[in-house]
Amino acid sequence: MSVIDVSGLTKHYGEVRAVQGVDFTVEAGEVFGFLGPNGAGKTTTIRTMLGLLSPTAGQATVLGADSTDEPAMIAAKRSIGYLPANPAFDDSATGREILDLHASIKGADRRAELLDRFGVPLDRAIRAYSSGNRQKLGIVQAFMHDPELVIMDEPTSGLDPLMQQRFNEFVRAEREQGVTVFFSSHVLSEVRQVCDRVAILRDGELVTTESIESLLGRSGKFVHARIAGHVESDAFDGDAVHGFEQTLIEDRAEELLAVTDLQRGTDVVTDIQFTYTGDINDLLAELNAYSFVDLDVEEAPLEEVFIRFYGPDEPSERTPTGQYSETDLPGGDEDV
Amino acid sequence: MFELARYEARRRLKGTLYLTVGLTLLAGMYIATFPSMAEDMNLDQFLDQMPEVFLELFNIATMNTIEGFLAAELYSIGWVLLLGLYTAYSAATVIADDIDRERMDILLSLPMSRARVLAEKFLALLVPIGVVNAVLPVVIYVGTVGIGYPIDPVNLAVVHLLAVPYLLACGGIGLVLSVLTSRSTIAQRGALVAIFGLFLFESLTTIAGHEWLGAIAPMRYFDATAVLVDGSYDWAGGAILLGGTVLLVGASVVYFRRRDIE
Repeated sequence: MSVIDVSGLTKHYGEVRAVQGVDFTVEAGEVFGFLGPNGAGKTTTIRTMLGLLSPTAGQATVLGADSTDEPAMIAAKRSIGYLPANPAFDDSATGREILDLHASIKGADRRAELLDRFGVPLDRAIRAYSSGNRQKLGIVQAFMHDPELVIMDEPTSGLDPLMQQRFNEFVRAEREQGVTVFFSSHVLSEVRQVCDRVAILRDGELVTTESIESLLGRSGKFVHARIAGHVESDAFDGDAVHGFEQTLIEDRAEELLAVTDLQRGTDVVTDIQFTYTGDINDLLAELNAYSFVDLDVEEAPLEEVFIRFYGPDEPSERTPTGQYSETDLPGGDEDV
Repeated sequence: MFELARYEARRRLKGTLYLTVGLTLLAGMYIATFPSMAEDMNLDQFLDQMPEVFLELFNIATMNTIEGFLAAELYSIGWVLLLGLYTAYSAATVIADDIDRERMDILLSLPMSRARVLAEKFLALLVPIGVVNAVLPVVIYVGTVGIGYPIDPVNLAVVHLLAVPYLLACGGIGLVLSVLTSRSTIAQRGALVAIFGLFLFESLTTIAGHEWLGAIAPMRYFDATAVLVDGSYDWAGGAILLGGTVLLVGASVVYFRRRDIE
């Protein structure tokens, strides 16, 4: 039996179709990524799975319990950990009081070990917690009763990069112990580090469920280069190149060239960027013909992947500015 | 069982302390002023000049005895109105505040039913209600003995006993508002309007000769003046208030179980 089974799950808020006919299953021991841009319906799906929202149609079961069957869900919740998107606790309570409450109701076999790993200022009032500490307290309460299944909504938001790394290691270790982990994210690079499979949600509909390797194979690399001299506009034509853009830089060229040792007698720099989905060796061979002022080759951001595979959307709605960290948007000001 | 109730009860201790100190000061002030007022003037003559609505609103029978004076001043304002408002206001946050501040997700991730969450959080209201009604009669008795106008201790105890179902009913009204909305400020304002509105409504319907209309107001079933001045105890009123509380909490459970947490 699957640990999570979602079939035809639909949730409408009046006229708004938050989630529409979503189907997926998560097997025992999997780390499953639930990927999609902000506003795609990830949180609504998760909260419906947990019985916080009732589905408009379809159903979701977790550990065999139907999300709308309260007695079955209460039994299942003994073995489920949940970390919501913005874990919130009583401001005036201390972390210790919160964990004591949770311990008294669901148990706390792993509390000490988790607190060692994710240091939380237990005796401070929650009101004085940073968002990172709140998130860590949320992680501790989600895992402390040694659950079989942990559902997390954007678990690494609010964590600093070091703690994100520690969290990823932790999730991998949990998988080794046989824990099933389901988590949502809007950041592909985060998901790729720990997930076995991903489902991609967009506009409330599931666009694909596939292994992380096949998704990464198709998503390609984002290439941003500054090349000394001129570049022919058709220089990078080919099936593997998508969204090619080039800009000639003349006014600042001297400055840019000065940081390199190039002695090519040129006074312009060409800025190019594109997404590359072919063999990485072919890409390097093509690039070899040029001299560079700068070169970035990064994993394509999720939005790029969406647009390439699933067609463009209204950009103003799909990409609220400021929602992506810098590493997710190598294009910087050219975000989609 | 009752783990959440215990946790919530601890969270209410500080507020309960402030409330008890505040009411002790209020009671002390009234008690301290009584001797000079009773000796220097005939307050009932003053009352004769007051419009009927004023007497009905504060349930005033006489002000020349310590019982009548406290019933009119301390209980009709401090208990029926202020504590009623406080309890309803507190109850209004029970569910709505957790939803509003996004705490409900984690709370409901615990293996417990929504009915139990609601019931245990409501039960924690017994901390302020219980402490205030246990401490204040002692304070008031000692105070009245101290000024040489001792109040009947049995009547005093009964007033505070009957205040408990009254306050629970006020809490029930706040609780209903708390499950109906996800905005705690709306629930809180609604609770204040409801209690104050019912307080006025109950008196005005009596004055207007439509007394039966005021029967929906919890104030109808808690009469400190009758207990303190006449020594008549309305146990049936207390039972009606408890029954009403059960109905209000039950209705809240039914709705809370069905609603989306959004």
